[in-house]
Amino acid sequence: MPYVKCSNDFRRIGHYVRATSKDGNMTEEIISYAIDPALQSDERDEVCALLARSGLDYEQGVEAFVVFRRARRLIACAGLEKNVVKCTAIDPELRGEALGLRLLTEVVHLAHERGHSHLFLYTKPENVDFFRSCGFYPLAEVPGYVTLMENTPIGIRSYCDGLRRLRHDGAVIGAIVMNANPFTRGHRYLVDRAAAACDHLHVFVVAEDASLISYRDRFALVKSGIEGIPHLTLHPGSEYMVSRATFSAYFFKEKGVVGDCFTAIDLLLFRNWIAPALGITHRFVGTEPFCRTTHKYNADMQHWLREDVSPAPAIAVVEIPRVVHDEVPISASEVRRLLATGDFARIGGLVPPATLALLMAKYRQDRPSAARGGPGEAAVNRASA
Amino acid sequence: MKIVREALAGTLESSDLMVRIAPREEGLEVVLQSEVIHQFGTQIEAVVRETLAKLAIVDGLVVIEDKGALDCVIRARVQTAVQRAVDEWTAEWSALS
Repeated sequence: MPYVKCSNDFRRIGHYVRATSKDGNMTEEIISYAIDPALQSDERDEVCALLARSGLDYEQGVEAFVVFRRARRLIACAGLEKNVVKCTAIDPELRGEALGLRLLTEVVHLAHERGHSHLFLYTKPENVDFFRSCGFYPLAEVPGYVTLMENTPIGIRSYCDGLRRLRHDGAVIGAIVMNANPFTRGHRYLVDRAAAACDHLHVFVVAEDASLISYRDRFALVKSGIEGIPHLTLHPGSEYMVSRATFSAYFFKEKGVVGDCFTAIDLLLFRNWIAPALGITHRFVGTEPFCRTTHKYNADMQHWLREDVSPAPAIAVVEIPRVVHDEVPISASEVRRLLATGDFARIGGLVPPATLALLMAKYRQDRPSAARGGPGEAAVNRASA
Repeated sequence: MKIVREALAGTLESSDLMVRIAPREEGLEVVLQSEVIHQFGTQIEAVVRETLAKLAIVDGLVVIEDKGALDCVIRARVQTAVQRAVDEWTAEWSALS
């Protein structure tokens, strides 16, 4: 397993207290404020330097930092990328002064002001106790590598309580997690095949709005696309499943190779929490011939869902070969490629009529000024499958 | 009063607490985490519930991360969180102490 760099490193915080109160330098007041790294390059450079001193990388996606200064010196920082706390560091010389609790207080308040109250963070397992003292609770851990935490003790429990009300018992309970960006005839085929093999099938639509097609539209197309299939429950996605928090690399594939641990966290959450709540025994996926990230995710599924890496029961992983149209496997990424060239005639062969109608009405890309339904969707063609 | 939005009050520093309050249908849920939960958990929750009752809050989710705060601090933080989470503050401050 490759080395994974965690973005929050507080190893020594709170383990000892230094008697610094009589040191004039040390008692100088700390000021804290938020910065926008895109606009304040001087501040950003100092943040980079502090992160480097702590052995951490600066992450480009961070939209805001809380910084602490004492005697003009930048001594601590914590970043936010939407609802994920990242790039958290304290000057190695100043650790042990309980600055961490103040820093986390500030970043939680900043996130709240920016509209995010449910927060996540990744850290090394040895820092879990510190973040626990800041109100973060572990969700999934790859021992020795990384732990995902959330800032509520009841988050995933309440989510799973909700799922349990939709539980159906049976010998084979299946699950499919799909982004459906957009829904194709290949998705319909996958659901048909999976449903035929199960007593009951749970279908989840990825909720993160980081894809070309908005979540609302993707969900509506899946709903109409799977009409008539019996013994099936369609679920809205959640932050606990292929989300910015659990699997951010999925949405930013251009960053290249995805670290093993980041698929592991998403898959362990599924195995340890979601599958037991619904009694899921099988997870179905389509084979992935095109997209490397999705291909890797499918391969990692075999390991993290089936092998002896979790106390939760193993889940069988069933890969279903893609349905072929004109000798090419149908894929959502191919549909998006055709969409970019405006080739609706060929798209018509790959998607159901409802998807074609929506793409023509709302997602035409050959007209640059076309309405695309809001700034969130104008974004980019990032996620597939 | 009715909780209409999520709100936050307090800090994680020693002798303080962080209160997070959110809308919820069907009753009041108080989730308490405290460094002194074994000694004072029951007392802390009682103070929280009593403060909410005086504010006539009957529905809501309240998550508390306590760092050994005194009762008066707990009351103040809960009141502030509620004030930020409601549209119209109708309580009489003099009746709250």
